[in-house]
Amino acid sequence: MMEIFRLVLLVVGVFFYMQAFADKPEFEIAIRQHLFEPSVIVVPANTKIKLWVSNEDKTPEEFESYELNREKVVLGGRRSLIFIGPLPAGEYPFFGEFNPKSAQGKIIAE
Amino acid sequence: MLLTSVIIVIREVLEAALLVSILMSLCFKLDIARTWFKWGVLGGVVGSIGLGSQLGFISNLFGGIGQEIVDAGLQIFIYICLLYICVEFINHYYQRQALSGTLRFVLVIIIVCAMSREGSEIYIYLSAFQSLPHASVSLYSGSIIGLGIGLSCCALFYYFLLSFSLVRTLSLGCALLTVVASGMLLQAGKMLIQADILPDGQLWDSSALLSEESLSGQLLYALAGYEATPAPAQLVLYLFGAACMALVMLLRYWHWQGRKASTRASDDEK
Repeated sequence: MMEIFRLVLLVVGVFFYMQAFADKPEFEIAIRQHLFEPSVIVVPANTKIKLWVSNEDKTPEEFESYELNREKVVLGGRRSLIFIGPLPAGEYPFFGEFNPKSAQGKIIAE
Repeated sequence: MLLTSVIIVIREVLEAALLVSILMSLCFKLDIARTWFKWGVLGGVVGSIGLGSQLGFISNLFGGIGQEIVDAGLQIFIYICLLYICVEFINHYYQRQALSGTLRFVLVIIIVCAMSREGSEIYIYLSAFQSLPHASVSLYSGSIIGLGIGLSCCALFYYFLLSFSLVRTLSLGCALLTVVASGMLLQAGKMLIQADILPDGQLWDSSALLSEESLSGQLLYALAGYEATPAPAQLVLYLFGAACMALVMLLRYWHWQGRKASTRASDDEK
């Protein structure tokens, strides 16, 4: 029983290790004055990417996109990681739920 | 600011309050004491503040995917609790009994978890933006309007569910709980995909038919976790969740029907 438990633990460990260190292109986006900078990011199509969202405002923001199926709260002064894709070529708008009028942007996969 | 806070609060309130109104109407119809409600709401408020104020810490867990893991964990946990609740409701229908400690505890826990998930976001939003100059009036009036609309919708829904006969409310309620619970699994799937634990993809795009941003899209999202562009993993979770719950309820139903038939047969023999 203990052996099986150890084996499962090993498999899960290796899985997470591979996930964490798998080679994924990284992109960075900042939130300043409730605006995304840059507001347009071009990413490779059909590739999983890591998107780092660093919120330089004091207020929190929620990165949200219906097209990407993503939502994540990024507190003020914090940097958060969001995995995106693999995306078919196209445009995927996103916005900040707490400031939807100003905080808008899009990801272009090509 | 006003409109934004109305929308944020409605979106968060609707999801938890719809679930509460289904549970409340079923308990009313089944003569189950509703003493759990106040503790659930109280725990929900405390949970919202707790979760909201600790979000920075939670986000950093598991290498930056703590938010997703905690949210998915809460939703999966609510699914399991709802599975138990549905079975108990069917038992209560066939054999009225006093509210057991376990059932009361599970009901409270469901409300606490569902409210904390949604309420923490409202807490973060309100606590951060109230300090901005000239913001607090529109922020709070917007939130109160949003809260009012959300709660009114759910009160209407509660009375709508009560307007049926017992057996219909029970079947409708159990069907709705299945939809809500499977929707929770679907949304948990979304979080696990975002955390890169499940694979992403797109099965179809129904946004032209029913956009997630539209009012009906938002309502369906709150009730059944509607996604216009679901990933295969999400659909698998949804179907698995719905099938499991339906099967468990049917087994319980057949069990009671069988017992009823056998007691009737033994009565006839006498």
